[in-house]
Amino acid sequence: MLLLAVAVSLALLVNRFSPLGIPLIGQWDTDVGVVTADTAAAAVWMDFEIPDPEVAKQVFDAGNALFVDVRSQAMFDDGHIPGAVSLPLGDLDTRLEAFVADVSPTQPIVTYCSGRLCQDSHTAAQRLMESGFENVVVYIDGFPGWIEYGYPVAIP
Amino acid sequence: MAFRDGLNMDTLSRYPDTGWRASGWLDLALRWLLGGLFVLASAHKIMDPAAFAKIIYGYDLFPAVAINLIAIILPYIELTAGLALIIGVYPRAAAVILSGLLLAFILAISINAVRGHVFDCGCFSSGEDALWRSTPGWLLGRNGILLLMGWSISVFRGQRKVLVRSG
Repeated sequence: MLLLAVAVSLALLVNRFSPLGIPLIGQWDTDVGVVTADTAAAAVWMDFEIPDPEVAKQVFDAGNALFVDVRSQAMFDDGHIPGAVSLPLGDLDTRLEAFVADVSPTQPIVTYCSGRLCQDSHTAAQRLMESGFENVVVYIDGFPGWIEYGYPVAIP
Repeated sequence: MAFRDGLNMDTLSRYPDTGWRASGWLDLALRWLLGGLFVLASAHKIMDPAAFAKIIYGYDLFPAVAINLIAIILPYIELTAGLALIIGVYPRAAAVILSGLLLAFILAISINAVRGHVFDCGCFSSGEDALWRSTPGWLLGRNGILLLMGWSISVFRGQRKVLVRSG
Protein backbone atom coordinates (compact mmCIF):
# COMPACT_ATOMS: atom_id res chain seq x y z
CA MET A 1 0.00 0.00 0.00
CA LEU A 2 2.89 2.31 0.81
CA LEU A 3 4.37 1.79 -2.65
CA LEU A 4 1.01 2.54 -4.27
CA ALA A 5 0.53 5.63 -2.13
CA VAL A 6 3.98 6.90 -3.09
CA ALA A 7 3.30 6.20 -6.77
CA VAL A 8 -0.08 7.96 -6.82
CA SER A 9 1.21 10.97 -4.89
CA LEU A 10 4.26 11.28 -7.11
CA ALA A 11 2.15 10.95 -10.26
CA LEU A 12 -0.31 13.66 -9.27
CA LEU A 13 2.43 15.96 -8.04
CA VAL A 14 4.59 15.66 -11.16
CA ASN A 15 1.55 15.95 -13.42
CA ARG A 16 0.47 19.10 -11.61
CA PHE A 17 3.77 20.92 -12.08
CA SER A 18 5.21 19.37 -15.25
CA PRO A 19 4.81 21.19 -18.57
CA LEU A 20 3.95 17.74 -19.95
CA GLY A 21 1.07 17.37 -17.51
CA ILE A 22 -2.46 16.71 -18.72
CA PRO A 23 -5.85 17.53 -17.14
CA LEU A 24 -7.33 14.85 -14.89
CA ILE A 25 -10.18 14.42 -17.36
CA GLY A 26 -9.70 14.53 -21.13
CA GLN A 27 -11.94 15.04 -24.14
CA TRP A 28 -12.78 11.52 -25.35
CA ASP A 29 -16.13 12.10 -27.01
CA THR A 30 -15.97 12.06 -30.81
CA ASP A 31 -19.37 13.77 -30.94
CA VAL A 32 -17.77 16.80 -29.32
CA GLY A 33 -14.66 16.91 -31.48
CA VAL A 34 -11.22 15.44 -31.90
CA VAL A 35 -10.37 13.15 -29.00
CA THR A 36 -7.49 14.33 -26.88
CA ALA A 37 -6.13 14.11 -23.35
CA ASP A 38 -5.37 17.80 -23.50
CA THR A 39 -8.63 19.70 -23.10
CA ALA A 40 -6.80 23.03 -23.00
CA ALA A 41 -5.38 22.37 -26.47
CA ALA A 42 -8.81 21.24 -27.66
CA ALA A 43 -10.32 24.54 -26.56
CA VAL A 44 -7.72 26.44 -28.57
CA TRP A 45 -8.15 24.18 -31.56
CA MET A 46 -11.88 24.90 -31.79
CA ASP A 47 -11.05 28.39 -32.99
CA PHE A 48 -9.63 27.03 -36.22
CA GLU A 49 -11.60 23.88 -36.88
CA ILE A 50 -14.04 22.94 -39.63
CA PRO A 51 -16.32 20.74 -37.55
CA ASP A 52 -18.21 18.81 -40.23
CA PRO A 53 -17.81 17.46 -43.77
CA GLU A 54 -20.55 19.64 -45.27
CA VAL A 55 -18.72 22.83 -44.36
CA ALA A 56 -15.49 21.30 -45.64
CA LYS A 57 -17.24 20.57 -48.95
CA GLN A 58 -18.41 24.19 -49.18
CA VAL A 59 -14.82 25.34 -48.68
CA PHE A 60 -13.72 22.79 -51.28
CA ASP A 61 -16.33 23.98 -53.77
CA ALA A 62 -15.33 27.62 -53.28
CA GLY A 63 -12.09 26.52 -54.89
CA ASN A 64 -9.56 28.83 -53.30
CA ALA A 65 -8.38 26.67 -50.40
CA LEU A 66 -5.45 24.28 -50.60
CA PHE A 67 -6.26 20.99 -48.89
CA VAL A 68 -3.22 19.46 -47.22
CA ASP A 69 -3.35 15.74 -46.45
CA VAL A 70 -1.05 14.99 -43.52
CA ARG A 71 -1.65 11.22 -43.44
CA SER A 72 1.04 8.85 -44.60
CA GLN A 73 2.01 8.80 -48.28
CA ALA A 74 0.55 5.28 -48.59
CA MET A 75 -2.83 6.42 -47.27
CA PHE A 76 -2.75 9.43 -49.59
CA ASP A 77 -2.01 7.16 -52.54
CA ASP A 78 -5.01 5.00 -51.66
CA GLY A 79 -7.27 8.01 -52.09
CA HIS A 80 -7.53 11.64 -51.06
CA ILE A 81 -9.56 14.80 -51.47
CA PRO A 82 -9.16 15.99 -55.09
CA GLY A 83 -6.50 18.65 -55.47
CA ALA A 84 -5.03 17.94 -52.04
CA VAL A 85 -1.28 17.89 -51.63
CA SER A 86 0.44 15.26 -49.53
CA LEU A 87 2.44 16.54 -46.56
CA PRO A 88 2.73 13.57 -44.17
CA LEU A 89 3.31 14.65 -40.61
CA GLY A 90 6.12 12.13 -40.36
CA ASP A 91 7.95 13.86 -43.22
CA LEU A 92 7.10 17.41 -42.22
CA ASP A 93 10.63 18.27 -41.12
CA THR A 94 12.08 17.38 -44.50
CA ARG A 95 9.25 18.61 -46.71
CA LEU A 96 8.14 21.78 -44.96
CA GLU A 97 10.89 23.97 -46.43
CA ALA A 98 9.88 23.11 -50.00
CA PHE A 99 6.22 23.63 -49.13
CA VAL A 100 6.95 27.08 -47.69
CA ALA A 101 8.87 27.98 -50.84
CA ASP A 102 6.01 26.87 -53.11
CA VAL A 103 2.97 28.23 -51.30
CA SER A 104 2.08 31.83 -50.53
CA PRO A 105 1.76 32.63 -46.82
CA THR A 106 -1.68 34.12 -47.50
CA GLN A 107 -2.96 30.96 -49.23
CA PRO A 108 -5.98 29.54 -47.35
CA ILE A 109 -5.00 26.05 -46.20
CA VAL A 110 -7.15 23.22 -44.87
CA THR A 111 -5.30 20.38 -43.16
CA TYR A 112 -6.87 16.98 -42.62
CA CYS A 113 -5.92 13.50 -41.49
CA SER A 114 -7.86 10.39 -40.43
CA GLY A 115 -10.73 11.99 -38.56
CA ARG A 116 -11.60 12.68 -34.97
CA LEU A 117 -9.28 10.04 -33.53
CA CYS A 118 -6.32 11.79 -35.11
CA GLN A 119 -4.57 14.96 -33.96
CA ASP A 120 -1.99 15.05 -36.75
CA SER A 121 -3.89 17.67 -38.75
CA HIS A 122 -3.82 19.98 -35.73
CA THR A 123 -0.12 19.42 -35.20
CA ALA A 124 0.57 20.11 -38.85
CA ALA A 125 -1.65 23.21 -38.81
CA GLN A 126 0.26 24.51 -35.83
CA ARG A 127 3.57 23.96 -37.61
CA LEU A 128 2.28 25.68 -40.75
CA MET A 129 1.14 28.69 -38.73
CA GLU A 130 4.52 28.83 -37.03
CA SER A 131 6.07 28.81 -40.50
CA GLY A 132 4.21 31.95 -41.44
CA PHE A 133 0.97 30.75 -43.01
CA GLU A 134 -1.76 33.12 -41.97
CA ASN A 135 -4.93 31.29 -42.93
CA VAL A 136 -4.88 27.68 -41.76
CA VAL A 137 -7.87 25.67 -40.61
CA VAL A 138 -8.33 21.99 -39.69
CA TYR A 139 -11.04 19.82 -41.15
CA ILE A 140 -11.54 17.49 -38.19
CA ASP A 141 -13.57 14.68 -39.78
CA GLY A 142 -10.73 14.05 -42.18
CA PHE A 143 -10.77 11.67 -45.09
CA PRO A 144 -13.12 9.11 -43.41
CA GLY A 145 -15.77 11.83 -42.98
CA TRP A 146 -15.32 12.92 -46.59
CA ILE A 147 -15.85 9.34 -47.80
CA GLU A 148 -18.84 8.86 -45.52
CA TYR A 149 -20.61 11.79 -47.17
CA GLY A 150 -19.88 10.39 -50.61
CA TYR A 151 -17.83 13.35 -51.78
CA PRO A 152 -15.43 12.99 -54.73
CA VAL A 153 -12.16 11.18 -54.20
CA ALA A 154 -8.96 11.32 -56.21
CA ILE A 155 -6.96 8.13 -56.62
CA PRO A 156 -3.60 8.66 -58.35
CA MET B 1 12.35 -34.89 14.71
CA ALA B 2 14.90 -36.44 12.34
CA PHE B 3 14.28 -37.54 8.80
CA ARG B 4 15.87 -40.54 7.10
CA ASP B 5 18.14 -38.33 5.00
CA GLY B 6 19.57 -36.75 8.14
CA LEU B 7 17.70 -33.41 7.95
CA ASN B 8 15.66 -32.33 10.90
CA MET B 9 12.94 -29.74 11.46
CA ASP B 10 15.42 -27.10 12.56
CA THR B 11 17.33 -27.44 9.32
CA LEU B 12 14.15 -27.23 7.25
CA SER B 13 12.89 -24.15 9.06
CA ARG B 14 16.16 -22.40 8.40
CA TYR B 15 15.89 -23.23 4.69
CA PRO B 16 12.14 -23.28 4.22
CA ASP B 17 12.24 -22.72 0.47
CA THR B 18 14.37 -25.42 -1.14
CA GLY B 19 14.85 -25.94 -4.89
CA TRP B 20 15.56 -23.40 -7.63
CA ARG B 21 13.58 -20.64 -5.95
CA ALA B 22 15.99 -20.79 -3.04
CA SER B 23 18.69 -19.04 -5.06
CA GLY B 24 18.94 -15.44 -3.95
CA TRP B 25 20.97 -14.66 -7.03
CA LEU B 26 18.28 -15.92 -9.35
CA ASP B 27 15.73 -13.91 -7.39
CA LEU B 28 17.93 -10.84 -7.73
CA ALA B 29 18.36 -11.40 -11.47
CA LEU B 30 14.58 -11.70 -11.91
CA ARG B 31 13.98 -8.61 -9.79
CA TRP B 32 16.46 -6.52 -11.73
CA LEU B 33 15.17 -7.77 -15.07
CA LEU B 34 11.48 -7.26 -14.27
CA GLY B 35 12.12 -4.01 -12.41
CA GLY B 36 14.35 -2.68 -15.17
CA LEU B 37 11.81 -3.53 -17.86
CA PHE B 38 9.04 -1.71 -16.01
CA VAL B 39 11.21 1.33 -15.31
CA LEU B 40 12.08 1.48 -19.01
CA ALA B 41 8.45 0.93 -19.99
CA SER B 42 7.33 3.76 -17.72
CA ALA B 43 9.78 6.28 -19.15
CA HIS B 44 8.13 7.06 -22.48
CA LYS B 45 4.69 7.04 -20.89
CA ILE B 46 5.84 9.61 -18.34
CA MET B 47 7.43 11.70 -21.08
CA ASP B 48 4.23 11.77 -23.14
CA PRO B 49 1.15 11.18 -21.00
CA ALA B 50 -1.18 12.53 -23.69
CA ALA B 51 -0.02 9.89 -26.17
CA PHE B 52 -0.34 7.18 -23.53
CA ALA B 53 -3.88 8.36 -22.76
CA LYS B 54 -4.69 7.93 -26.46
CA ILE B 55 -3.44 4.34 -26.30
CA ILE B 56 -5.66 3.66 -23.28
CA TYR B 57 -8.59 5.22 -25.13
CA GLY B 58 -7.82 2.88 -28.03
CA TYR B 59 -8.46 -0.17 -25.87
CA ASP B 60 -12.09 0.95 -25.60
CA LEU B 61 -12.40 -0.62 -22.15
CA PHE B 62 -12.38 2.34 -19.80
CA PRO B 63 -14.85 5.15 -19.07
CA ALA B 64 -13.84 8.53 -20.45
CA VAL B 65 -13.43 10.04 -16.99
CA ALA B 66 -10.83 7.41 -16.05
CA ILE B 67 -8.59 7.58 -19.12
CA ASN B 68 -6.44 10.57 -18.17
CA LEU B 69 -6.16 9.41 -14.56
CA ILE B 70 -4.93 6.00 -15.67
CA ALA B 71 -2.45 7.66 -18.04
CA ILE B 72 -1.15 9.88 -15.25
CA ILE B 73 -0.92 7.29 -12.46
CA LEU B 74 -0.12 3.95 -14.11
CA PRO B 75 3.39 4.89 -15.31
CA TYR B 76 4.35 6.00 -11.80
CA ILE B 77 3.11 2.71 -10.34
CA GLU B 78 5.34 0.94 -12.88
CA LEU B 79 8.25 3.24 -12.05
CA THR B 80 7.87 3.02 -8.26
CA ALA B 81 7.37 -0.75 -8.18
CA GLY B 82 10.17 -1.27 -10.72
CA LEU B 83 12.62 0.80 -8.67
CA ALA B 84 11.50 -0.93 -5.48
CA LEU B 85 12.35 -4.30 -7.04
CA ILE B 86 15.74 -3.08 -8.19
CA ILE B 87 16.89 -1.51 -4.96
CA GLY B 88 15.14 -4.03 -2.70
CA VAL B 89 12.44 -2.04 -0.95
CA TYR B 90 9.37 -4.17 -0.24
CA PRO B 91 10.24 -6.44 -3.18
CA ARG B 92 7.40 -8.87 -2.54
CA ALA B 93 4.81 -6.10 -2.52
CA ALA B 94 6.37 -4.59 -5.65
CA ALA B 95 6.25 -7.97 -7.42
CA VAL B 96 2.61 -8.44 -6.43
CA ILE B 97 1.75 -4.96 -7.78
CA LEU B 98 3.52 -5.57 -11.09
CA SER B 99 1.97 -9.03 -11.38
CA GLY B 100 -1.42 -7.41 -10.88
CA LEU B 101 -0.68 -4.94 -13.66
CA LEU B 102 0.47 -7.75 -15.93
CA LEU B 103 -2.72 -9.69 -15.22
CA ALA B 104 -4.73 -6.58 -16.09
CA PHE B 105 -2.76 -6.13 -19.33
CA ILE B 106 -3.31 -9.79 -20.24
CA LEU B 107 -7.01 -9.44 -19.54
CA ALA B 108 -7.33 -6.26 -21.61
CA ILE B 109 -5.42 -7.71 -24.57
CA SER B 110 -7.41 -10.96 -24.38
CA ILE B 111 -10.77 -9.19 -24.31
CA ASN B 112 -9.85 -7.14 -27.37
CA ALA B 113 -8.44 -10.19 -29.16
CA VAL B 114 -11.64 -12.15 -28.52
CA ARG B 115 -13.95 -9.36 -29.69
CA GLY B 116 -11.68 -8.53 -32.63
CA HIS B 117 -11.19 -4.95 -31.55
CA VAL B 118 -8.26 -3.26 -33.26
CA PHE B 119 -7.65 0.43 -32.75
CA ASP B 120 -6.20 2.25 -35.71
CA CYS B 121 -6.41 6.02 -35.55
CA GLY B 122 -4.34 6.40 -38.72
CA CYS B 123 -2.04 8.67 -36.75
CA PHE B 124 1.65 9.28 -36.99
CA SER B 125 2.07 11.31 -33.84
CA SER B 126 0.43 9.26 -31.12
CA GLY B 127 3.22 6.77 -30.77
CA GLU B 128 0.88 3.82 -30.57
CA ASP B 129 1.86 2.60 -34.00
CA ALA B 130 4.46 0.13 -32.73
CA LEU B 131 2.17 -1.11 -30.01
CA TRP B 132 -0.67 -1.81 -32.33
CA ARG B 133 1.61 -3.56 -34.81
CA SER B 134 2.38 -6.07 -32.06
CA THR B 135 0.17 -9.12 -32.36
CA PRO B 136 -1.99 -10.09 -29.38
CA GLY B 137 -0.24 -13.46 -29.29
CA TRP B 138 3.18 -11.85 -28.93
CA LEU B 139 1.96 -9.43 -26.26
CA LEU B 140 0.26 -12.22 -24.31
CA GLY B 141 3.34 -14.44 -24.52
CA ARG B 142 5.64 -11.66 -23.36
CA ASN B 143 3.35 -10.63 -20.51
CA GLY B 144 2.88 -14.28 -19.52
CA ILE B 145 6.65 -14.70 -19.11
CA LEU B 146 6.87 -11.47 -17.12
CA LEU B 147 3.98 -12.64 -14.95
CA LEU B 148 5.87 -15.86 -14.18
CA MET B 149 8.84 -13.75 -13.15
CA GLY B 150 6.65 -11.62 -10.90
CA TRP B 151 5.09 -14.72 -9.36
CA SER B 152 8.52 -16.25 -8.73
CA ILE B 153 9.70 -13.09 -6.94
CA SER B 154 6.53 -12.80 -4.86
CA VAL B 155 6.65 -16.42 -3.59
CA PHE B 156 10.41 -16.45 -2.95
CA ARG B 157 11.13 -17.36 0.66
CA GLY B 158 14.93 -17.56 0.67
CA GLN B 159 17.49 -14.98 1.67
CA ARG B 160 17.19 -12.08 -0.78
CA LYS B 161 20.27 -10.32 -2.13
CA VAL B 162 20.41 -6.50 -2.24
CA LEU B 163 17.64 -5.86 0.24
CA VAL B 164 16.95 -2.53 1.89
CA ARG B 165 13.61 -3.42 3.43
CA SER B 166 11.78 -6.73 3.16
CA GLY B 167 8.09 -7.17 2.59
